Amino acid sequence: MVSQILQAIFHWFTFSTNLLLIIGVIFFIKLPKKKRVNTKYWLPFLILTFTVICEDFGIYTNFNFEFKKAVNAYLGNTEYPKFNLWFFNIARRQIGVILYLVLIQYWLQPAHKKYINWMIYGFIILAVILQVSGIEPLYFNQPIISAIGANVILIGSGLYFIEMITHDQYLESNPLRLVSFWQMTILMFTFSLNYISSVALMYLYIVNPVLGKALQEISYGMWLCTLGVLIMTISSPFLPGLFEKEPSYGTN
Amino acid sequence: MEPTEDHIYVIIFATLFLAGMMSTFVISMVFIHRQRQAQNRQKMDQIKSEHEKTLLNIENEIQQETLTHIGRELHDNIGQLLSLAKLNFGSIKPEKIAEGRDILGQAIQEVRGLSKQLNLDWVESININEFIEQQLTRIKTTGYCETSLEAEFDLIELPKDQKLVLIRVIQESLNNAIKHASPDKILIKLHENGKGKQIFIKDDGRGFDSTQQASGSGMFNLKKRMETIGGEFNLTSAVGKGTEITLTLPN
Repeated sequence: MVSQILQAIFHWFTFSTNLLLIIGVIFFIKLPKKKRVNTKYWLPFLILTFTVICEDFGIYTNFNFEFKKAVNAYLGNTEYPKFNLWFFNIARRQIGVILYLVLIQYWLQPAHKKYINWMIYGFIILAVILQVSGIEPLYFNQPIISAIGANVILIGSGLYFIEMITHDQYLESNPLRLVSFWQMTILMFTFSLNYISSVALMYLYIVNPVLGKALQEISYGMWLCTLGVLIMTISSPFLPGLFEKEPSYGTN
Repeated sequence: MEPTEDHIYVIIFATLFLAGMMSTFVISMVFIHRQRQAQNRQKMDQIKSEHEKTLLNIENEIQQETLTHIGRELHDNIGQLLSLAKLNFGSIKPEKIAEGRDILGQAIQEVRGLSKQLNLDWVESININEFIEQQLTRIKTTGYCETSLEAEFDLIELPKDQKLVLIRVIQESLNNAIKHASPDKILIKLHENGKGKQIFIKDDGRGFDSTQQASGSGMFNLKKRMETIGGEFNLTSAVGKGTEITLTLPN
């Protein structure tokens, strides 16, 4: 049991995410107070912290069978008491998507912000309907919610790119030196590749576990890139020569 | 090939295809951005050069206007004063000679005043309120019509380009009123409202049909000039009802 816990903790993905969280915390603490209260910095930090804590809690649930069984039973799942998909669904597929949408919204001009608001409301309503109606129970795989989540993120990133090629403020800057550009690019790749991965994973684990595992590793890699780009945002004030000032429309 | 193997290949190719599509999308977005950035810079350069050209034209026009004014002053005012001085100096009466000396002093004062107007430095030293006052006084003293100025604020701190354009537009609007409208009264009002600071130039002259295109070319020019400094030019007029021009200043 102990060796299993250690193995889980020292799995390269878990280890890397926790290391990234430590780096993120150090950079965030080092930021001037004025910057710490700015959405541009606290929101990526919140997402980073939330993601890593959720990953760790996910590992914890795998070693606390009684807790997992009790939650599954509460949700009506007595068939697969070992599953902790309910937590994965809430944390990554629902709250995670909403947090990333808020992050995308930060970079858009006021006229486009409302579209993201509509997407957030629409996503919440659809997720609630699909779960309450029993079409996609919380404790089982949720491909429809996952697809909707990936699509709203793709549309949000698309809006950012449209703004990037049309808005005067973005046209004055070099996109390769904007953290927002890298955030949107990585988010687009992560969510779309993860969607493919999550859809094919169950099948591949049965028919070709090696390929399934490889796909899972790609997914891990993409999540690490996402966390990396969030740290890059938090640390951007320390690298003024590398990044340009963002033409953002945030409130602070 | 077995069906399972087929599925695996589909998954691999779908993943690669998606990744390729997104890479292409991002790269093309960067290229489009670069292209638009270049176009935008070109457009900005063009606007800048047009702005400079307009300012140069305005400076020339103001100089031309000033030269005409100086010519008129030399002929009607200083010439007359010097002739009068000459007559007085021709007299043997000491009081006439003293009067001639006074007139000569007056002529020297006038020449000094005119010499200051020969370059555009006066534009730097004068504010719009003072300029309007000067123009209205000139119109009134020459006997064209009655004038009045109502100012809710002083336009003191204006950039030189904005000042030049405003001076020229006001000058041209007043010239148009005198030349074409034969008004009894011209009123200029400096007023501030929700739109920002505005200058109203109103005359009670014969007016014209402002919807007709033939009357629009000069007005179009003034409108364009106000736009170059980020302001607005609006004109309302009707036959027999005078003309009202509203200049909205840039914020």
